[in-house]
Amino acid sequence: MTNHWIDIKHSDVIMCIGSNPAENHPISFKFVEEAMDNGAKLISVDPRYTRTSSKSDTYAQLRPGTDIAFIGGMIHYALSNNQIHREYVVNYTNAAFLVSEDFNFNDGLFTGYDGENFSYDKESWAYQIDKEGRPLRDDSLEHPRSVYQLMKQHYSRYTPEKVCEITGTAIQDYMEVIRTFCATSKTDKVATIMYAMGTTQHTHGTQNVRSYAMLQLLLGNIGLAGGGINALRGEANVQGSTDYAILYHILPGYLKVPTYDNKDLSSYNAKWTPKTNDKQSANWWSNTPKYMTSLLKAYWGDAATEKNDFCYDYLPKRSGNYSFIKLMERLQTGGFEGLVCMGTNPIVGGPDASSIANGLDSLKWMVAADLWETETSVFWRRPGVDPKTIDTEVFLLPAASSVEKEGSISNSGRWVQWRYKAVNPPGHAESDAFMVDQWVKNLKALYKKDGVFPGPITDLDWNYGDGHEPNIDMVARECNGQFTRDIEIKGKLYKKGQQVPSFAFLQADGSTTSGNWLYCNSYTEAGNLMQRRGLDDPSGMGFYHNWSWCWPVNRRVLYNRASVDLNGKPWNPKKPVISWNKLTRKWEGDVPDGGWVPMSEDGTKSPFIMIAEGYARLFAAGLADGPLPEHYEPMESPVANAMTSQQSNPAVSTPGKIDNSGKYPYIGTTYRVSEHWQAGAMTRNLPWLVELVPDMFVEIGEELAEWKGLKNGDMVTISSARGSIEAKALVTSRIKPLRVSGKMVEQVGLPWHFGFNGLATGGSANMLTTAVGDANTTIPEYKAFLCNIEKGGIKS
Amino acid sequence: MTAAKFVVNEVKGYHGFVKFLILLVVIAALASMVRFVFGLGATTNMNDTYPWGLWISFDVVTAVPLAAGAFTLGAIVHCFHIKKLEPLVRPAIVTGFLGYSLVCVGLLLDLGQPQRGWHVMRYWNLHSPMFEVSMCVMAYTTVLFLEFLSPVAERFGWNLSLRVLRWLEMPLVILAAAISTLHQSSLGTFFLIAVDKLHSLWYNPLLPLLFWVSAICSGMCIIIIEATSCHKWMGQPNEGVLLRTLAKILPWTLGLYIALRAYSLLALSVGPFFDRPVLTLLFVVELVIGFILPFFMFTQKSVREDDRRRVIAASLVVFGLVLNRFNVSMFGMMNPDQIYYPSIVESLVTIGIIAGHILFFVLIAKYFPIFEHHPETVDYTIPGRIRKSDNGAEPVSEQS
Amino acid sequence: MSKVNTSKNNAFLIDMTKCTGCRGCQVACKQWNQLAAEKTEFFSGEGYQNPPAMSEYTFTRIKFRDYQKNGQNEFAFYKEMCMHCNDPACASVCPVGAFKKTAEGPVIYKADRCIGCRFCMIACPFGVPKYEWSKGLPLVKKCTGCYSRVLEGMKPACATACPTAITYGRRDEMIKLAEERLAKHPNKYIHKVYGKEEAGGTSVIYLTSLPFNELGFKPVTLRPLPDYTWQALRMVPAAFLAVGGGLSALSWITHRRDRLKHEKAAEQVDNPAEEKED
Ligand SMILES: Nc1nc2c(c(=O)[nH]1)N[C@H]1C(S)=C(S)[C@@H](COP(=O)(O)OP(=O)(O)OC[C@H]3O[C@@H](n4cnc5c(=O)[nH]c(N)nc54)[C@H](O)[C@@H]3O)O[C@H]1N2
Ligand SMILES: Nc1nc2c(c(=O)[nH]1)N[C@H]1C(S)=C(S)[C@@H](COP(=O)(O)OP(=O)(O)OC[C@H]3O[C@@H](n4cnc5c(=O)[nH]c(N)nc54)[C@H](O)[C@@H]3O)O[C@H]1N2
Ligand code: SF4
Ligand code: SF4
Ligand code: SF4
Ligand code: SF4
Ligand code: SF4
Ligand SMILES: [Mo]
Repeated sequence: MTNHWIDIKHSDVIMCIGSNPAENHPISFKFVEEAMDNGAKLISVDPRYTRTSSKSDTYAQLRPGTDIAFIGGMIHYALSNNQIHREYVVNYTNAAFLVSEDFNFNDGLFTGYDGENFSYDKESWAYQIDKEGRPLRDDSLEHPRSVYQLMKQHYSRYTPEKVCEITGTAIQDYMEVIRTFCATSKTDKVATIMYAMGTTQHTHGTQNVRSYAMLQLLLGNIGLAGGGINALRGEANVQGSTDYAILYHILPGYLKVPTYDNKDLSSYNAKWTPKTNDKQSANWWSNTPKYMTSLLKAYWGDAATEKNDFCYDYLPKRSGNYSFIKLMERLQTGGFEGLVCMGTNPIVGGPDASSIANGLDSLKWMVAADLWETETSVFWRRPGVDPKTIDTEVFLLPAASSVEKEGSISNSGRWVQWRYKAVNPPGHAESDAFMVDQWVKNLKALYKKDGVFPGPITDLDWNYGDGHEPNIDMVARECNGQFTRDIEIKGKLYKKGQQVPSFAFLQADGSTTSGNWLYCNSYTEAGNLMQRRGLDDPSGMGFYHNWSWCWPVNRRVLYNRASVDLNGKPWNPKKPVISWNKLTRKWEGDVPDGGWVPMSEDGTKSPFIMIAEGYARLFAAGLADGPLPEHYEPMESPVANAMTSQQSNPAVSTPGKIDNSGKYPYIGTTYRVSEHWQAGAMTRNLPWLVELVPDMFVEIGEELAEWKGLKNGDMVTISSARGSIEAKALVTSRIKPLRVSGKMVEQVGLPWHFGFNGLATGGSANMLTTAVGDANTTIPEYKAFLCNIEKGGIKS
Repeated sequence: MTAAKFVVNEVKGYHGFVKFLILLVVIAALASMVRFVFGLGATTNMNDTYPWGLWISFDVVTAVPLAAGAFTLGAIVHCFHIKKLEPLVRPAIVTGFLGYSLVCVGLLLDLGQPQRGWHVMRYWNLHSPMFEVSMCVMAYTTVLFLEFLSPVAERFGWNLSLRVLRWLEMPLVILAAAISTLHQSSLGTFFLIAVDKLHSLWYNPLLPLLFWVSAICSGMCIIIIEATSCHKWMGQPNEGVLLRTLAKILPWTLGLYIALRAYSLLALSVGPFFDRPVLTLLFVVELVIGFILPFFMFTQKSVREDDRRRVIAASLVVFGLVLNRFNVSMFGMMNPDQIYYPSIVESLVTIGIIAGHILFFVLIAKYFPIFEHHPETVDYTIPGRIRKSDNGAEPVSEQS
Repeated sequence: MSKVNTSKNNAFLIDMTKCTGCRGCQVACKQWNQLAAEKTEFFSGEGYQNPPAMSEYTFTRIKFRDYQKNGQNEFAFYKEMCMHCNDPACASVCPVGAFKKTAEGPVIYKADRCIGCRFCMIACPFGVPKYEWSKGLPLVKKCTGCYSRVLEGMKPACATACPTAITYGRRDEMIKLAEERLAKHPNKYIHKVYGKEEAGGTSVIYLTSLPFNELGFKPVTLRPLPDYTWQALRMVPAAFLAVGGGLSALSWITHRRDRLKHEKAAEQVDNPAEEKED
């Protein structure tokens, strides 16, 4: 989230698109309600009428996978009606930048497309630059090669009629959404977007998010209280887990994982440190070498020296894509001997789940660390399989749950809050930290004896006390970082072993360590700031700066320097995030995004400090599938792309198990319910929750039910090119057919929480989903696929 | 001969019908054990929608007015001093006593915590009609028991007790009438709380009064039925002449009841009345067949004087009362989507209770002097009958 | 009947326009009261509604209404629980006074008194008290208002768990808050504070944007229910005295008349019957 949960209360318009916070983020609704009490309007854009929709002022139905069309039309409206926050757009975004004459877009393809590799050569997606290497700009926004004009041209095709033909939205609902939302182009009105998996789980998920961000930028809504674009993170600590590099391509603090060609630290730094020739750009990522060196120092401690490149060689270098889908493909070809599943249940949660389950059969061993016996850990017992035919040796390590251990948890609003252990884990259950600690210690002992390339393991600086458990306090201190020697920085002397006050003090010379530069400032000499529980809120804006700690450097609203005008005066004086005090010449309010003077003064920096050029990108050259979001159909779709002849995202290769032949006529989408959690182990084993939602169901519209002769509660079989499952029919008017490209298209909705193991069992929706992912993130396209539905259970 | 053998031999001598009744009672006793073992949920069809079922509707709400003969007749005979009806009193008291005892039995089965029945006396709640009814039922059962002691004392020749009882007769009769008035009407009060639940055809603020008046009517009708049956099947003298007197009172009480019903419905109830056809039918059947028709019948001398027609009219009133009580306590509160009907266990127990009632009446009549007693002609100072009794107890002089 | 100051006691303000149907309250209630889960199947009702009804295992429940109105979807949620009436019918009918309206607000049940007559179940206008049908010696079960928590200064479990819809506090303040909301958003709400007057006033009050009858609220009288029985019961002493006294007087008169008749007859006969003792 650019903002944080409490901040939602400041919104004038809240658009829940691709998310269902009433069900999946119930606490957020407290603040949604508070905003509504103060007159805010709630918009829900969802293929299904959800519990969130039920609270909304305006509900717009759309077909799964058509968000870009939906938002594209809004952008078109904002631009053609000049309903934008012009001052903001000109000064804070790259709208005025001129784009290379070579760049072009034609029938769904941007320039530089390589059809063989499903990729783009992005060379032409560049700014025109002046002699100093700075982008050329036209503040009048009239130049035909300006980002603004290119956008205007690009989205001119997204007329309301065209959009609704694609999305299936009723045009009056659509127009109401547009008018309500675009009304926040006024400086003192602000809208927020709450999005989640309905947005991201598409082959064009990243572009979906981009389209939301662009709309918000045009309306001047980013950086403001009650604004921003807010990814409602999922798993309780998923924010923390991404901050700490759960994904294959990043290191802690979103540093890039070196690729095979980054031979040494300097070539790594050269490749991954963004450059700018604009002196007004803070280009925060220019600090990459400092953060990387501090990380290496944290990993290998004294063994990491300037001479040995701080052990850079010890880091694994990647040569390909190790995303979930790719790993699972490899698993299915027998590519792994063993698998460690810590807190995950892929044969329920992964796409095309039965293929994954089949893949597990070839493993020699599996270690599962979990609170429960999951479907994955008993994959050898799954229906239709004879356990005798499977040779995998499975170890189930009972894990301590979140309340049975101490540590930090990072919420969606980037607040890092300390949790204390409430009770001891039952039986032999142990914390994950204990398990990892044991593994490392044992590995070290083994590698000390012998092994190929033992250095990365034996040199690992791994000292977290002598207790049964690793000392979590020491881990937290290390994540923040310490000085490795006495050193003077900015005129102040810091002693060896002291905590580094903030990432501004991290060094590239090995004098500092930091396990995660983003968290540098979380544990200072003043103590563990994540443990703070101060309830004071002097600004009255709900920042609660003394409650826990928030990255970066306790800043509660990101890009908050865009919330003020060029003189540092808040766009919306009634809800200031920060404001410039001319007398003290200081910022007041939230921790500003850098303390530089306002934009109108000398020595200032542009507000979007994480972007090399300092301006928010309406035109973004970095993505795999184009600098401007463009509508493509999901991989499986019942209709042809009405925009261009490119059916689906050209930057995504077409995988095998896809069937667009018409055999599977209905759109399937998967979602969550309040009552269950994810792959279900944690809720399908709890009687109180099983009581609420006891079995797998599928939501079917009334027309389709009538056509199929289905009543509420009837057993049905849902099948796709990947497999078939059974479910009870929930017939409801909340899911309706859509009029798309002149024909009626039916959709069905399936919760994906069920599996064959546990107290409540039922068909796994993921037996139906497609194992194809987003062009940038490879998140699977869980939200749109084709299926068929038949009355009665599976006939065997 | 052991006592057991004696009992067995005695029972062997009974009429087949009596044996059948014994069987029914035994079955009911077994069924009630099942209730305690498996709980109310498994054995009855009661549930959270229908917390009161057949047992409350029949064993309590209906059985109590059916046993109203005792107090009604007591009051008629002793207070209104229509002494010629005296011969009917003892059987009526026996019926009443049995009725109330069986109400208690029914209640004990129905209560979730029967072992705590005494709590009513420990924790008073004057605002509770149930409290009122329980206290009354307990008190009245005691009164009936005392009244019933007369034939028992006579049978065993306990003269002193007889004299005490005789002396207590008037106060007991008055007490009985007063207590009965209270609880007969309070049974109606029960349902005053069911505002918005009981259908408007029955719900009105006069329910308590209506319950009382209808109890008086049915009490008398039960006596008519009982005396007629005793004559027919138990070889007792025909009390037809006496019953005629009762039949003369009945048009007045029935008339009063019908008038009150009409008034309460027209003036005190708020509709809708005829929104549910089944209930409309039940209402019409109850009122027309159960009250209006017998009212007209009893106004006819020919009916009053004809044993058969009189008993038919009386039966109609009893039918009307039973239906009325079921309408109020069950049908009128029924949710059309979820119908209650009694389970086998519930039915067996209720059948057993009815059977028990008849059985015990027959047995009591067999072993105790409840028909012979004609107080006008009995001299209490000389326990003359006692000499005749088979146990051959020595006469005891009370004057010493 | 109750002597509790019902404007100062605690009440729930449940704003159904803010209820998301998350059912956190339903689970929190089970957890706090350690109630067993029910064996359910599919959904028993509209939307995701489960279990089928409140019961000995379920003191509170979210009812779902899933329907269409003027072509628009309505998906509404309503929390069922004991209303903690100001003047509770359950308490008034209980022969052993097992129910009590406490000064803190909750209407509590003293299980050790209950004889199990189930009159409370008949009496409650909201169908709240439930019975342990599975037991040989069953007791009544219902929402406790989390009395033990309230006594300790905590909010009820359901109110604590609720992210959005439940406010708990002094009844007069809750009513004020409710009325303020109605005044501030006249177009959003149905103009009614349910529970302010229903059944003589309750300690659970509702606000909604949909007509109460559409949500399945049963119409209830505004008069406190105990009034209905009390108007009859308060006549009990009078009736007792009237019937007792009337009959005594009557029999005294009839007997006197009788005796006089007898005496007259006896004078004519030579040996008069011995006088009876009554
Ligand atoms: N109770 C509960 N809460 C949870 C979870 C849980 O399992 N249970 N999981 C947590 C996790 S890990 C996550 S990631 C979050 C996810 O939170 P959400 O993203 O809110 O979860 P979903 O229900 O998967 O999807 C949200 C909505 O997207 C809609 N949708 C589907 N396709 C599209 C589309 O193309 N466009 C748009 N605009 N909408 C679409 C679906 O109908 C659905 O209502 O929830 C978290 N919270
Ligand atoms: N069809 C479809 N599939 C989806 C999605 C969808 O929307 N549709 N959503 C996707 C999303 S957003 C997500 S995040 C994934 C989630 O997929 P998974 O992460 O595989 O699913 P979870 O059920 O959250 O698995 C977490 C496991 O961790 C265990 N656990 C809990 N706490 C601890 C702990 O402290 N230590 C250990 N060792 N274990 C613990 C739990 O018991 C549980 O079994 O699923 C994805 N799958
Ligand atoms: S699931 Fe947990 S984190 Fe999410 S709203 Fe509920 S209590 Fe909060
Ligand atoms: S709602 Fe029913 S159980 Fe609750 S206090 Fe009122 S009458 Fe009693
Ligand atoms: S069942 Fe128990 S609590 Fe209810 S009225 Fe009877 S005695 Fe009172
Ligand atoms: S007040 Fe307590 S007992 Fe009543 S519903 Fe709420 S949590 Fe359950
Ligand atoms: S916890 Fe609150 S919002 Fe959730 S269902 Fe209950 S009353 Fe509604
Ligand atoms: Mo997630």
